[in-house]
Amino acid sequence: MDVSSWDGTLSLNEFSLAAQAFEEKWKISNSASPPWLWVNAPIRPFVASQKVDGFLSMENICLLRPSEDNGAEVSRLEEEKTSLSEKEEAIDDATLVHSNHHEVHYYDFHIVYSASYRVPVLYFRGYDSDGLPLQLNEIEKDLPACSAKVLLESKWTFITQEEHPYFNRPWYKLHPCGTSEWMKLLFLDEAVLAESKVAIELHLVSWFSVVGQVIGLRVPIEMVNGRIN
Amino acid sequence: MASVTESPSSVRKVIVQLKATADAPILKQNKFKIPGTDKFAKVIDFLRRQLHRETVFVYINSAFSPNPDELVIDLFNNFGVDGKLLVNYACSMAWG
Repeated sequence: MDVSSWDGTLSLNEFSLAAQAFEEKWKISNSASPPWLWVNAPIRPFVASQKVDGFLSMENICLLRPSEDNGAEVSRLEEEKTSLSEKEEAIDDATLVHSNHHEVHYYDFHIVYSASYRVPVLYFRGYDSDGLPLQLNEIEKDLPACSAKVLLESKWTFITQEEHPYFNRPWYKLHPCGTSEWMKLLFLDEAVLAESKVAIELHLVSWFSVVGQVIGLRVPIEMVNGRIN
Repeated sequence: MASVTESPSSVRKVIVQLKATADAPILKQNKFKIPGTDKFAKVIDFLRRQLHRETVFVYINSAFSPNPDELVIDLFNNFGVDGKLLVNYACSMAWG
């Protein structure tokens, strides 16, 4: 892949390779975090080509409210922490169901390939402890504080809602229309990565280093530095 | 490869060099020193203030956008070149 003329996109096959590399590197460098898992796409009848098709999945993630610094913490279904620096939610006098002060939210994240934009897309949905889906304004409160501004002001990262490409449910996604632009920038100086295989293996690591910041998930430096220097 | 001449435990300052990319304006002061124990968020905030923009796209070599919580010294140790941490920035254009 000639990086200087690269348009910032990748093919479905390259996405599968990148996903595999991302899954492995994440497991090695981020073992404390829940893993990303590859899920094969449900086979659709009457579809002519049965290419390897699927997505990366990380589900049932408990996003704790962000502290005053940036970034939320991610953990599996754990006991909620008792002290949080965020303000308490206003008590609704009409329906006082639980006496607990803080509501724990759970999230599913999918990294799906967009055939139209030829880039990875992050799909996500959140739900409360009763399993009720969260609305976008509730989700935004769980995101790092600086994300809220970025989401509103940047044309490169904004959230839309649409039907998941494989499941008939509405999910939220970070819209992919700006992705190829900023992926091109990320790789601009990387003549040393122009050798195709390395660039593909790093594609999702680089992509997620940006996207993960919006949702408060962190790419450890080790994931990037694993490359041959 | 970064050349680390001091012991890791000493609090050292890191030289950060900023580089404008895409359509971003070039800053008059594009080089400064920052304590290694500071978080990368400080560099991002500096850029936001200098450029008068809320959203700046910040990334370094190795095709990586560092998390604001990373320590500058860790980034320098892993990605520093010629005794500096090179930080690229672009403006992700606002709506309207």
